Amino acid sequence: MEARAREVGTPLSAPPAVRRTSDLAARGEPFLWLFGGALGLGIFMIVGFLLLVAWNGISTFWPKPIEVVALKGGGLVAGEPTRAESFRPGPERLAGLDAAARAAIERNGGHARRTLYRIGNYDLYNEDFRWVADFEVAGASRPADMVFVERLEWGPFVGRIKEVDLDGARSAGAAPDLGRLSSAHAAARARWQRLREIERGAIGEVNHDLNAERLRLRRAALDHGRDGPRFRQVEAEVAARTAALERAYAGLTAEAEAIRKEDGKFRLTLAEIGGKEKTVPLSEVVRLYPANDLSLWGKLRVYVSRWAEFLSDEPREANTEGGVLPAIFGTAAMTLLMVLVVAPFGVLAALYLREYAKQGKLVSVVRISVNNLAGVPSIVYGVFGLGFFAYIVGATIDQLVFPERLPNPTFGTGGLLWSSLTLALLTVPVVVVATEEALAAVPRSMREGSLACGASKWQTIRYIVLPRAMPGIMTGLILAMARGAGEVAPLMLVGVVKLAPELPVDGFFPYIHLERSFMHLGFHIYDVGFQSRNSEAGKPMVFVTTLLLIGLIAAMNATAIYLRNRLKRKYAVGHF
Amino acid sequence: MDVSPTAEMAAETAGNMPPAGSGRRAPLAARRDRATRRSVLIVDRLADYVITIGGMMVIVAVLAIMVFLAAVVVPLFTGAEILDRASYRIDAPRERPLFAEVDEYRTIAVLVGADGRLSAFHYGTGAPIAAPAFDFGGQTATAIGRPIKGIDVAFGFGDGTIRLGRLRLVSRVLAAGEMPAGLGRLDERDFSDGRAVYSLVPGGQVRKVEVEAELGQAQQIAEAGVPILAVDYRVGGTAERPVRAFVSLDQSGVKRLSLAESRQNLLTRKVTTTVSTTELKGLPPDLDLVGMLISERADRVYVAERSGRLFRFDTRDFTQPVLAEIADLMPGEAKLTALRFLIGEQSIVAGGTDGSVRVFFPVHKEGAGTTDGLALVEAHTLEPHGASVAGMSVSERGRTLVTLDNMGEVWLRHVTSGQTLLRLKGADASARWALVGLAPREDGILMVDSRGAATAWRVSAPHPETTFGTLFGKVWYEGYPEPSYTWQSSSGTDSFEPKFSLVPLIFGTVKATLYALLFAIPVALLGAIYTSEFVHPAVRGVIKPTMEMMASLPSVVLGFIAALILAPVVETWIAAVLLAFAVLPLLLLGSAAAWQFVPGRIARRFDGVPRLAVVCGVVALGFYLSYALGGTFERLFFAGDFMAWANGDAGGDVPFMTLLLLPLSTAIALAASGRVFGDAIGRRRRRLSERGMAAFDLARWLAVFALALALSLVLALLLDSVGVAVRGTVVGTYVQRNTFVVGFAMGFAVIPIIYTIAEDALNAVPEHLRSASLACGATPWQTALWVILPTGFSGIFAAIMIGMGRAVGETMIVVMAAGNTPLLDWNIFNGLRALSANIAVELPEAVKDGTLYRVLFLAALTLFVMTFAINTFAEIVRLRFRRRAAQL
Repeated sequence: MEARAREVGTPLSAPPAVRRTSDLAARGEPFLWLFGGALGLGIFMIVGFLLLVAWNGISTFWPKPIEVVALKGGGLVAGEPTRAESFRPGPERLAGLDAAARAAIERNGGHARRTLYRIGNYDLYNEDFRWVADFEVAGASRPADMVFVERLEWGPFVGRIKEVDLDGARSAGAAPDLGRLSSAHAAARARWQRLREIERGAIGEVNHDLNAERLRLRRAALDHGRDGPRFRQVEAEVAARTAALERAYAGLTAEAEAIRKEDGKFRLTLAEIGGKEKTVPLSEVVRLYPANDLSLWGKLRVYVSRWAEFLSDEPREANTEGGVLPAIFGTAAMTLLMVLVVAPFGVLAALYLREYAKQGKLVSVVRISVNNLAGVPSIVYGVFGLGFFAYIVGATIDQLVFPERLPNPTFGTGGLLWSSLTLALLTVPVVVVATEEALAAVPRSMREGSLACGASKWQTIRYIVLPRAMPGIMTGLILAMARGAGEVAPLMLVGVVKLAPELPVDGFFPYIHLERSFMHLGFHIYDVGFQSRNSEAGKPMVFVTTLLLIGLIAAMNATAIYLRNRLKRKYAVGHF
Repeated sequence: MDVSPTAEMAAETAGNMPPAGSGRRAPLAARRDRATRRSVLIVDRLADYVITIGGMMVIVAVLAIMVFLAAVVVPLFTGAEILDRASYRIDAPRERPLFAEVDEYRTIAVLVGADGRLSAFHYGTGAPIAAPAFDFGGQTATAIGRPIKGIDVAFGFGDGTIRLGRLRLVSRVLAAGEMPAGLGRLDERDFSDGRAVYSLVPGGQVRKVEVEAELGQAQQIAEAGVPILAVDYRVGGTAERPVRAFVSLDQSGVKRLSLAESRQNLLTRKVTTTVSTTELKGLPPDLDLVGMLISERADRVYVAERSGRLFRFDTRDFTQPVLAEIADLMPGEAKLTALRFLIGEQSIVAGGTDGSVRVFFPVHKEGAGTTDGLALVEAHTLEPHGASVAGMSVSERGRTLVTLDNMGEVWLRHVTSGQTLLRLKGADASARWALVGLAPREDGILMVDSRGAATAWRVSAPHPETTFGTLFGKVWYEGYPEPSYTWQSSSGTDSFEPKFSLVPLIFGTVKATLYALLFAIPVALLGAIYTSEFVHPAVRGVIKPTMEMMASLPSVVLGFIAALILAPVVETWIAAVLLAFAVLPLLLLGSAAAWQFVPGRIARRFDGVPRLAVVCGVVALGFYLSYALGGTFERLFFAGDFMAWANGDAGGDVPFMTLLLLPLSTAIALAASGRVFGDAIGRRRRRLSERGMAAFDLARWLAVFALALALSLVLALLLDSVGVAVRGTVVGTYVQRNTFVVGFAMGFAVIPIIYTIAEDALNAVPEHLRSASLACGATPWQTALWVILPTGFSGIFAAIMIGMGRAVGETMIVVMAAGNTPLLDWNIFNGLRALSANIAVELPEAVKDGTLYRVLFLAALTLFVMTFAINTFAEIVRLRFRRRAAQL
């Protein structure tokens, strides 16, 4: 382009009427600047967006100091300063201020600054966050003995340790021995983990078996009637099994009870900034750290442990805390299943369109239609998935295969399988279009060469065309995966749920439960951001989840682009 | 990877086509080998079939989506059908019965005679069922009144007394074993012992239905011996302390409103009833009464006379009823023959001798002149019968009713949609009387006439409320001041009238799309032109994927950022944000003018990346300037408070209108200056030095802007004086989650699509056109404007259409950031509800195969058709463009 510009301005030994510099209007500088500005705006938008998500997502888990703010009107507020903004105090708020503060606001064009503190202690305050305006503040400090306690319930606690009770060894008043506390804490967490294993794993298994026996009885009643000898036989078997299972259940409950009793001996008494106390079992403390007395190494450890929890644990507190493992798992399972379906069918359709169908008007109409289906809103596919897969196909399967579970639907409602199929349908056009382009990019001469050597049509496709088109097909598949992983709207209709602690894969026969509803990272964002009691409390979680989702999709897209570029370089043939 | 498959194939084909070396050695063997191996042929044939059938199936499956959606939608428009019809004879009373009642499951039908006798029979076969009777003590009821729903009934008698009673068709579900033995079989479902009917129901259970009746003591309402002509009756209050309200009219023309409150003494368990009565004044003495209605909460009383005059009393103050309004139900000579409430007891259905069936309800009206500010309006005029309306029966569940005329025609209709669902031929016209009854679930119609001929229809009218008209047209809903497009699919009460107009939703989609495109098109197109024509290909290779990355951002993320981060920020800094739209272009133009002062040699050296960097810097500066000047801007244009201004509470329209008109007037000024002074400017320019020319150009731009500013000010003043307002149209009351935010967030989704496709289209313009233009001495700008753009225009158009398709279908952004209010309002600062968002929000709760479910499928089908049409159009344009570009 620079070269072109130079050509235009190249000095010529021409008559004086022709000027060396062209007319300014011809240069169109103002318009170029407008055009460039538009491009700049676009770049700003995308870069700003990514920076916003990246910064918020990366910084969320970094432990922040706890600030204790003394208010002018008396009272103390302790919390993590989350963000600050400028706001416009209302007239009644202004009226309650002294003259100096009012004048300061007046000078600032009616704006004042305020800071959002994460004050925690939801069980005591009934709010997690509090705005403190600068004009309210009398002074702020960061006392070293403030601790930030993440609990299993009620969200974080911000305050001081009042007393530690380790099986009778109390350490009231004196500064707690954090080293001892942390080893006791580790032991308590291990107990809690064991308790969860019993409750989830062993007791869950017993419950599963009990339910299976109940269903067996119903099935027998449906198959043989309630009066036959077969039914009696099954009934007796079921009763025996059930009794055995219930004994096992009692044993497990006793074991759990013992652990719980042991657990009750280790307690932590905390005091919030105003002095109100709260005693929690040590095992219900997820994490505890002195926020203002943390070395860089300590902060890093908290940071890493939070990320580890996020990636490997289940959500707590209406999804606003804890991890997103089920959502990651659900997203991955759904996407993989979708690819398994979409890959063969998409490639099949493209092969038919490009290699087998007679290229005429009809095929070009079909091609345009398939192309356009990529532009049909995803929610429409969701509607189809719900109406056809879940309500018609699923309900039929239920009636034929699982009559004993009715009226509770098994396949007759949204689930992993239907979600994958719906998204497969949604992404089939993407794969078809990509595969077709890849097939078209294989030079005709190669095909003709192969056929001329006596290879059959299928052999040509199998050994000549497909290998060369493979990177293009892979690109299409990965793009389809990226699109599928980011879709939420159709999933809201066909099987995604807010909380599904049961993963679609577990230890019970048949191990893969395609009928189960599942969690999804995208829906997690929607749910935590919009359905939780306090969107502010959920925001950090949403940002981290967003970062994860975008990262995932960006990685897929980057792979696709890399493949595409490799393909282009390899077979630099003209495209349309 | 590249070599091995070919090698493999060579190995396989070696069988039928030996390499040249070995071919000469064994000609005989070669001939045998030349035959293709069977397995190859079979595999080839198999592949043929699998790929052809599989490929076609995939394509058919994908295309079948539309067919499936349409199949779900179709029942919305099919009206009703008759499932079966049973005719039988019953022992009909001589006199016309007071009313007919059918139970919930269409098992038993009961006719209540004026003498208190109940004649019950099996609905399907007419087999008689024994039923108790109301003991009127030998009297004959002169009047009857009862609510639409429930079991209560009031009878008026000739001696001026009233008796309250209950008629119940009780159904109980019994276990399979509890069915008594020795029952007579009625039909495949029902058995009877002559007193009750036992029906087999799914799940191996039995349902027993029988008739129960009870009657209270006579209460003297009118003077003794003055017959009661009409009575209507409602029960309110709590179950422990029921309040009965009833209206009675005696022959002397005195109309009374009575409230009876029953109280049970907790100690003695004695029920005491106190009756208080007031007189309704204002009725003409010679009233020829047809009917009388009392509303659910007894706050309105209607009295209708034969001429069609309706007297409406406001009885909110029980002690002082006021005649609020006199309305005419029957225009012309026609006489009123039937009067009923619809469910909810707001709407009144009136039938006349001319066969007309009209629906009225009170609405709040300015200047109604009534005590309660209401006025009765004729909201629906249903299709008239051919003969005088003889009777009607309304549904307990919805707005369906059956009407009967003197010729024996029975029509099933729905009020909201105004459609006649079924036209049935019932009784002979020669019968003395005929009676019609609608089953509670709207699934059966019973008709009985004086000669004992009864017909019981089983009908199915699953979606009576939807027609093309109710879905896409204006409908006058109960209580609304005028016909409107309204979407309100559900509510807490049973008597709710569902409002399924898709128009507000389609409007929402169009509004979101339009505002999003208004922002996205300029950014995307200008950016695409710049990328394609004015930056180095290497830079392009970086910028384009960056922009494309934006396309792969999941929309749920965009929605989240838009609603939770952007919306509060925009709300706080709205003035600054609006200012940015003016500051950015102006600043860019200003910087361009400044850049022209840089000597050409140096400027050209910095033509590529450095200039783009400076442009980006200017954009950043523009953001900062908007932020800094936001407060000042708000003071100057919006009287210091944008929210108050938008509400219409402060400031005037002119400043903002001036700003809105600025792009238009700038274009006008630019064109005008070019046309009028173009030659003169050109001549003058030629004599200037480079720097002088820059200065001249700056001056020219300044002049153009001054002109534009003046022009738009004048225009704004003019429009303002004519009465054109900005507020209340495109801007207005500010809500946090609004179209402005949606438009911006949707920009993220739409800009990359338009950008990529438009850039591709511009890039596809053959290189020789560009070279030719430049070789003729045109600048890159001239080339772009006069050569590239016209050639690539159809491609750009396709890009816009495809972007539009994406905006139309976008779901999560609208769900999260648009507030979901189904309004018909262009205000950019108000919310909206789009088709897609509506589906996402309401479908999970919709009952399968219910009306809402099907209407939402229709919404999906609408979206499908809209996007499919837009995309197909775009695709055709794009293909044409490609073909043309290839020919050039």
